Amino acid sequence: MRRVLAWMLSGMLVLPLVLLVLLSLARHWTWPALLPAELQVRQWRDLFADANGLGTVVLRSLGMGVGVAVVATTLGFASSRSLARHARKGRLLALLHLPFAVSPVVLGVSLLYAFLRLHLAGHMLGVMLAQLVFAYAYAVILLSGFWNQRARSLEELASSLGAGRRQVWLHVLMPLARPLLGVCLFQTFLISWFDYALVLLIGSGQVSTLTMTLYQYFSSGDIRLAATCALLLLTPPLLALGLNHQLLSATIVTRLEAYDDE
Amino acid sequence: MMSDASSPTLRVDHLGVQLGGQFVLRDVSIVVDAHTTMAVIGASGCGKTTLLRAIAGLVTPERGEVRLGARRVDLLPPNRRGIVYLNQEPLLFPHLDLFENIAFGLRLRRLPERQVRERVAEMLVQLELDGMERRHAHALSGGQRQRAAFGRALVVEPALLLLDEPFSNLDPDTRTSMQDLFKQLAHRRGITALLVTHDLKESMRMGDSFAMMRGGRVHAYADRKAFCADPASGVDREAAFWQAFASGEVQVPRCDVPTGDS
Repeated sequence: MRRVLAWMLSGMLVLPLVLLVLLSLARHWTWPALLPAELQVRQWRDLFADANGLGTVVLRSLGMGVGVAVVATTLGFASSRSLARHARKGRLLALLHLPFAVSPVVLGVSLLYAFLRLHLAGHMLGVMLAQLVFAYAYAVILLSGFWNQRARSLEELASSLGAGRRQVWLHVLMPLARPLLGVCLFQTFLISWFDYALVLLIGSGQVSTLTMTLYQYFSSGDIRLAATCALLLLTPPLLALGLNHQLLSATIVTRLEAYDDE
Repeated sequence: MMSDASSPTLRVDHLGVQLGGQFVLRDVSIVVDAHTTMAVIGASGCGKTTLLRAIAGLVTPERGEVRLGARRVDLLPPNRRGIVYLNQEPLLFPHLDLFENIAFGLRLRRLPERQVRERVAEMLVQLELDGMERRHAHALSGGQRQRAAFGRALVVEPALLLLDEPFSNLDPDTRTSMQDLFKQLAHRRGITALLVTHDLKESMRMGDSFAMMRGGRVHAYADRKAFCADPASGVDREAAFWQAFASGEVQVPRCDVPTGDS
């Protein structure tokens, strides 16, 4: 029974990906054929030969994702430490959930008004700042779990042994938080990478990302190009997931857990 | 034995610490002579830990001064005081192995690699932990972790060592061997130390001078005799109990000690 459930779960996760791969390579695939009659790589060639310059779009999306992830995680790590020691920690933490409680579209509309006045609408920087609202809040919430009594004791211990503030961060806190920082970088990257609503609203049609391109292909009815673009959209997260899995299963996590148990 | 300059007299004058709007330490004044250990005994919650944390710079006092020799240290950050605070729990950095844990303070001081290796190796031998250099905290027993924590503190040759009930989590045998090890190392290295404990026997074994803490106030005794003579210290009650037990006057189940005749 357990094996059947495992196969069903794997099938549910893998089948959509297989379908996307087949669609991106299919030349003729008509009902009721189970598999395409003929395969080709034309969709992939067309995608990159596109006059819109998909290479640039991919690079822009990657750049925005990495930028948002690095800024959100860096600021989030420092802010979460201050938050953990704040007298009104609970209230501030609740406030940080606000961006997720309201719809991104609602928040996007209100941000658009402000960004129009600041001349940030229609610019990549504006879109990234809007994404940062979500990514930063997420980073602080995620990383606030790191600052427990043990982290504080280790911080004090390092400082008692002669470590200055910078040394405490470099030699104790960052190595200890490495697995969590990896998760945070990954998740905040995904917030930007998969974002559509904020790019649409704040970008005002001037900022083209991979999600925008995917929707354009989809709405134009070219399902095969859309599938190819969707696969491209899935590639970095899948690669990051593999890397992240390694980070998560790194010995440091095992050690921390073992130490906590004793 | 080290010079007075490296392990000087500790002088605490009129120290007052407020936590959560209440004074936890009130007008505390003590002197710990160079190369000696003062044992401060007191019940849980009397302010023992706060006293050590205030001296270490981990809690900011409202008033008073802390001097090491001629140097006023209460105005310095914790990492520049030359005071190592050893927590009740033997905290080892979980991301570092035993060797690197002990070398931590030496590396912060940017000592040449050869010197670091020599000093750590020497310390490992003294701690009887040689051969375990590459083990991490989770692969060490409680006693070994406690020894490692001691070694890491002693190897940097602190001006003052603060011990916060360091043996309370250990079993009786390990506790006794740790107390002996500490006395031996403290004597060999000329350490000045302040130990807080609620264990009367521990204070008697470890202390060269004694003080009693109650309600945030400290009463220091002139010598061991004065400490033992004070009914508040509980020494006379403890001694009377064991005398009565030995003579059979105390009505508790006696232990049948095997004689070895059978």
